[in-house]
Amino acid sequence: MSNHGAADASTGVQRNILTAHDEPEDTPEEISRRTFMANATLTIGGIIGVVLAIPIVGSLIPEGGGSKGSWSALTAAELTQLEAATSKPVKMTFTLKYTDGYLPEQAAEEYVWGIKIDEAKFKAARPDIYETPGGNVKDYQAYNMGFVIFSPICPHLGCRFNWSDGANKFLCPCHGSQYTFDGTHVAGPAPRGLDPLPFREQTGTADVTWIQYKPNVPDRIVISYQA
Amino acid sequence: MLNWLESRTGFVSMTKEFLTEDVPGGASYWYVFGSATLFAMIVQIVTGIFLTFFYAPSAATAWESTRAIYLNPFTHFLLSVHYWGASAMIALVFLHLLQVLIFGAYKSPRELQWIVGVLLLLVTLVLGLTGYLLPWDMDAYFASQVSLNIAGLPPGGSILQDIAQGGGTMGTATINRFFGLHVWLMPAALVGLVGAHLAIFRHNGSAGPVVDDPRKLKSGRFWPDQMFMDGAASFIVFIVIIFLALFLPPFLDAKADPTNSQFVPYPAWYFLSLFGLLGLVPPEFKLGGLVISTELLSTIVVPTIFLLVVLAIPWLDRSTTRSFSSRRGILWGATLVIAIIVGLSIFAQVQTMAKQAAAPPSPSEASILAATPPPAEPAAGTAAAPANANGAKVFSTNCSSCHGATGQGMPGAFPPLAKNDVVIGDPNKVIGIVDGGLHGSITVNGSTYNGTMPPWKGTLSNADIADVITYIRASFGNSASAVTEKQVAGYKP
Repeated sequence: MSNHGAADASTGVQRNILTAHDEPEDTPEEISRRTFMANATLTIGGIIGVVLAIPIVGSLIPEGGGSKGSWSALTAAELTQLEAATSKPVKMTFTLKYTDGYLPEQAAEEYVWGIKIDEAKFKAARPDIYETPGGNVKDYQAYNMGFVIFSPICPHLGCRFNWSDGANKFLCPCHGSQYTFDGTHVAGPAPRGLDPLPFREQTGTADVTWIQYKPNVPDRIVISYQA
Repeated sequence: MLNWLESRTGFVSMTKEFLTEDVPGGASYWYVFGSATLFAMIVQIVTGIFLTFFYAPSAATAWESTRAIYLNPFTHFLLSVHYWGASAMIALVFLHLLQVLIFGAYKSPRELQWIVGVLLLLVTLVLGLTGYLLPWDMDAYFASQVSLNIAGLPPGGSILQDIAQGGGTMGTATINRFFGLHVWLMPAALVGLVGAHLAIFRHNGSAGPVVDDPRKLKSGRFWPDQMFMDGAASFIVFIVIIFLALFLPPFLDAKADPTNSQFVPYPAWYFLSLFGLLGLVPPEFKLGGLVISTELLSTIVVPTIFLLVVLAIPWLDRSTTRSFSSRRGILWGATLVIAIIVGLSIFAQVQTMAKQAAAPPSPSEASILAATPPPAEPAAGTAAAPANANGAKVFSTNCSSCHGATGQGMPGAFPPLAKNDVVIGDPNKVIGIVDGGLHGSITVNGSTYNGTMPPWKGTLSNADIADVITYIRASFGNSASAVTEKQVAGYKP
């Protein structure tokens, strides 16, 4: 028996490690047949691997959206509070109806920030919502009924910010991003201003819905939305 | 009997072959770290397998089933052992790595054994990371959110983040995927890599002590000499794990609540140094007119470079011998790196503790475990309703956004209801506040609050107001008398 290594010491001939059982007395037919069988076995393994890999990789790529919200009505009290707002944002709670993956539709307490503002003023302060490419949200108007509704999620890394009366700003506790009343980003690491949410009038009340935007990018990219 | 088995299986000679490994220079307690790590891995596999008997991976059941695991003393102990076993395993992997580094045992022909070892460290860290999410409590949620967002930072990382999350946001799909990673994919990779690690070890033999001429070393026996030392070390590891599991069991936070803006996540200790790096470096710096974000740098670039350097150590260490004097550079470099890692960890720990002290206290574990599980969705309403379900519902719908789901309040704005003397004091005063709202500044337990509370009279019925007051007076550790609808109706400001 010759050695089974990659090189035959006596001849110095490089041999394929997979067909290294060749002996000097082997006929070319035998060697050719063995090479064929070795390659065919590897091919069979490869085909099995590829056929399994396609559904596995395909299954891992999400179809888009994790949890999705649908239109939820504000209570009369919340709307009244918003209408009475002046220079301070109003934190409005509502019951968000949403679906999470395969689970049945659920309801959870959510809140959004609402501000009452003049449209021209808002347009001047937040051109990103109206003009920047990818800034405007094509499915809905950010400004409605004299109000703008902001998502409570910081566009930096997804923390929840709070309104500070003292600073007269929205402050994010996690990394210190700051936003003015109209959501303009003024300090901290966030790459964009506060994100608007859809808001629509209903008889006697109004609906809001929930959108999540991709954090930490300058553009507003919707990662979950269902109206 | 043994002959019968041997002639049919060869197991006896295989065992003999396995146990008669030569140990150059004799058995030593310096060699126990590898086998102790293996022992910790076996503890993790055994406890982990049985924990899957009780855990259900979905957003609707993960926290609930974990809570049930906490409530049974046996499963709680299994979980505690699994929790501390993870820490022990990671600590031992680090010690083993350090031992190999100090003695230069990674040198040719053992470079691949070193590389497989570093891959094992990575797999172990991924196991720690994925296991951290599974309880689906506040800390699990927010700490994992940080790591998932970091995964999305580099170019092309967002698809990786989506794949790990199972969608654009964290949710039930994330739990399923982390569960699959934690209980199947990573353990399978771990066992395969350990097999390769041991096979390479047996192929090259033990590196032995650092001496001028290894051929002069007298060989010792693996069995029973080294096996006894390995066993003794594993037993010490076992005692430490059991002791910690009994006296310092892990803590279950409240169920993950994405709307909580006050929660300060804390990473597992083995990720503290990375967390410290993120916290130490300012988020951006200006270079001329250019603003450079350092986030990518401190979360991805620096750790990746560090990993590549560690993988390349067998080639970076150019000395031909393993003696300490010829390897001063690598030894001092390693000391410096370890000092930096420890320093960053301490920095992150101090920073996290300061943030936690500033945040409202989390509810105690006793109250989480004692609380009635939140009522199931109406369809599943077969369980007996808790005594004051309406009060709890009114509270969670109308009050919890400001006063917190657990009555913890919000610093500076809304006072806590837990241990609040007004709440548990005169019922009429409480009715007055709920009826008429509050504005201006108030002081509760020495802290000032400026938030505005809307009047609820008219919005809520008298019955709802009575129920919710009864609820807050008997929850969050409070225990004051109930308030009736009659009292509310009869209240005059």
